[in-house]
Amino acid sequence: MPRWTLGAVVLATGLIAVTGRLAAQGDRASIVILTGQEPTLPVPTLMVGPAANVANADVAAQLFLRLADPGPELKLIGDDGFVPRLARSWERRDSLTLVFHLDPRARWHDGKPVTARDVVFTFDRARDSTIDPTVAEQLRHIREVRAQGDRDVVFTFDHAYPGQFYDATFYVQPLPAHLLADLPRDSLARSRYVRAPIGDGPYRWGRQVAGQFLELDANHDFFLGAPAIHRVIFLLAGSQSARINLLLSGDADALANIIPPLSNIQRVGADHRLQLVPFPSQTVGYVVFNFRDPDDSSRPNPILSDSVVRQALVLALDRKAMVEAAYGSYSKVPVGPVSPMLWISRLGLSPANQDTARARALLASRGWTDHNGDGVLDRGGHPLALSINYPSSSSVRRQMALQMQEQYRRLGIQLEVRALDPPVWGELRNRGKFDLDFSSLSQDPSPSGMLQSWGCASIGANNVGSYCDPVFDSLVTAALADRDHAPDLWRRALRRVEADAPAIFMYAPVFVAAVDRRFDRTPLTPYSPWQSIWRWRLRRGAGR
Amino acid sequence: MGRWLARRVVQAALTLAVAATLAFVLMRVAPGDPLARLAMDQPISPQQIALLRTRYGLDQPLLKQYTAFVGGALHGDFGVSIAYGRPVTALIAERLPATLILGGTVLLINFTLGLWLGVRQAVKRGRAADHLIGVLSQTGYAVPSFWLGLVLAWLVGIRWQLLPAGGMHSPLMDPTSTLLHQAADLLEHLILPALTLSIVSIAAAIRYQRTAMLDALSLPFILTARAKGLRERQIVWRHAWRNALFPVLTLFGLWLPVLVTGSVFVEDVFAWPGLGSLAAGAVAARDYPVLMGTTTLVAVIVVLASLLIDGLYALLDPRIRWA
Repeated sequence: MPRWTLGAVVLATGLIAVTGRLAAQGDRASIVILTGQEPTLPVPTLMVGPAANVANADVAAQLFLRLADPGPELKLIGDDGFVPRLARSWERRDSLTLVFHLDPRARWHDGKPVTARDVVFTFDRARDSTIDPTVAEQLRHIREVRAQGDRDVVFTFDHAYPGQFYDATFYVQPLPAHLLADLPRDSLARSRYVRAPIGDGPYRWGRQVAGQFLELDANHDFFLGAPAIHRVIFLLAGSQSARINLLLSGDADALANIIPPLSNIQRVGADHRLQLVPFPSQTVGYVVFNFRDPDDSSRPNPILSDSVVRQALVLALDRKAMVEAAYGSYSKVPVGPVSPMLWISRLGLSPANQDTARARALLASRGWTDHNGDGVLDRGGHPLALSINYPSSSSVRRQMALQMQEQYRRLGIQLEVRALDPPVWGELRNRGKFDLDFSSLSQDPSPSGMLQSWGCASIGANNVGSYCDPVFDSLVTAALADRDHAPDLWRRALRRVEADAPAIFMYAPVFVAAVDRRFDRTPLTPYSPWQSIWRWRLRRGAGR
Repeated sequence: MGRWLARRVVQAALTLAVAATLAFVLMRVAPGDPLARLAMDQPISPQQIALLRTRYGLDQPLLKQYTAFVGGALHGDFGVSIAYGRPVTALIAERLPATLILGGTVLLINFTLGLWLGVRQAVKRGRAADHLIGVLSQTGYAVPSFWLGLVLAWLVGIRWQLLPAGGMHSPLMDPTSTLLHQAADLLEHLILPALTLSIVSIAAAIRYQRTAMLDALSLPFILTARAKGLRERQIVWRHAWRNALFPVLTLFGLWLPVLVTGSVFVEDVFAWPGLGSLAAGAVAARDYPVLMGTTTLVAVIVVLASLLIDGLYALLDPRIRWA
């Protein structure tokens, strides 16, 4: 190959590449948001099973409005603390009846007005357990949703409870009945509608390049105010390193959650073009104790069914140091299974600190001492040996599991650490085949789902450790039913669960987002960080 | 030739059937529930899991699942992806172009620049150029592709901001822009991943070509050609190189399937939307339909590549008959 040929190829490649770079430049009024998952079905009532992911929820939040959104405090008991969206106002007829008055200015992206029929149609779908049993279960206390004229929707509940408003507004965003009512109920997911959904939100569907990005265009007729950002683009990058590279290279403007190690946050923070935005997460990480024998679930666990042993296993760990090593200042040790987003995380409770002397004494009180001098506690000839499962995809859990192993070793407890492929880990977890399981849960903004994972009734479902404490159940039930005494009841419930130690509650992180400084932004919403992007403005002169 | 072709097609069909069956059985025997991960970080009702298990046919006996797979595959239907909720054929069709563009570019670089360098090495045997090319290509071969990708993305994409650090197209580009602009945009996104893959894989082409060239250059007819006073360039490219192409042809055949799945790490580092990352994600999620679709595709490519190379051998070398 002559040298000039090689030179010409390199030169031509460079020139063409520069042409492409220039062609794709500019447009300050667009925002490119990085996402780790591809939005596949961002349509309410279809975000089920595999489609129930963050990417779909983020896109749906731009396309569709709720009747009302949770307010910034996220104290979601009673009818206060919500901000109007599709519903301009609401009134309570009695303790079982709630009436929403739709905003007459609300329009679907095809220009048709949003009506009470749309709301009724959507709730009819959402409450159908053959479509989405999980949401149908969440809406089980709604007895009826009916239209009263074009603008009023009447919700009737089966009993009085403070979470009625939340149930009526949070889980479901209305769909356009005029486009979908004639479709067979189970065919919506395969319909043409889902390829370019028509919503009523601040952004309308632009285009999707499969495997690459999804573009939403501003709805300039949005009745709550036209967005200043003209385009919202969700750019897909599966790996965290690719997302950070795209952010630092200026190819993207925002990333919702910079995952540890901490050096990632430091790298992004060092870029003066970007601002770091911490916000409370929905996540809580914990190590579940199995109350049943993994080999025979009809029998209690020979070691872990004893609450004194469980307490000792909690006290043996320096959780604060472990959390700090993984998250720095961006996480704390929770009290109970409570993510930082929940209002009950701000009740002034503190987790127990490490106390190895007490842990050792508690174990000794149950007969666990080192009888044979091999450095491992034993009882009746059996060593205190346990195993912990975690998904190999989680570096945070790996780091913490190894620290647990070492801290337990010093106390004479053997802990075998098992990194498992996520589907294998999930299968063993669901079948109760574990001693300790390192889990992480993404919670709703309301604590009303607490018993889904920790209640006696959910053993065999999401309560994988088979923990059952009727007192805890009744305290939670009472807290959810009694608005006035809720803080005190929650305090008692959380103290109870801490004392009973069904799990080691490890971390409740604050997510750290990064956003280009050219955006004058509003606070990020914990359950849907980009939801308020339509209210963002552009700073003069800064950035692209 | 007709009989040869018929026999090879039957062999190919058998190979495909065995490969697909093995893949099906191994995937189902391997531990891990594709739906278990749904409950990984959010509460999900057992009814929901049961509903999905029915929807994806996972509640059926293995034999029934297999017959359903075979029946669908014969019609080009691999079912619906569990993770994406979309037909597998559509997913593959969307990802295949990106894979072919990246893999094709790497193949093009390796089998032009790589062969040229191999020939240069052979011609300059024992001299500085031979050593330099050898050391550089072996160094590239020894470097892990994901590490090199990260370094290039950081240096060229972040530090110098000369090229995009990832993706295949700029999402900011106007979709109505000219074809030239779109091609240029694609090219600038392609440079880094293609360069990464080429650096780590070109060594094989260079080494194969060098060895084959050295063999060819030592044959008596080359001495005759020199004695006849032919120019060195003619001797090298017209006489020696043609004879040194056969081993490289074998290498080409071996690389065709790698083209589809061999770039998983690089696709990951550069957010390149190819089949490799789709297949890797499907393994992690136990997305059986996608796994079967991609595995069958790779098997088809392997079989076709083998057919193609055998045919090419017979065409290029008169000593090899259609037998």
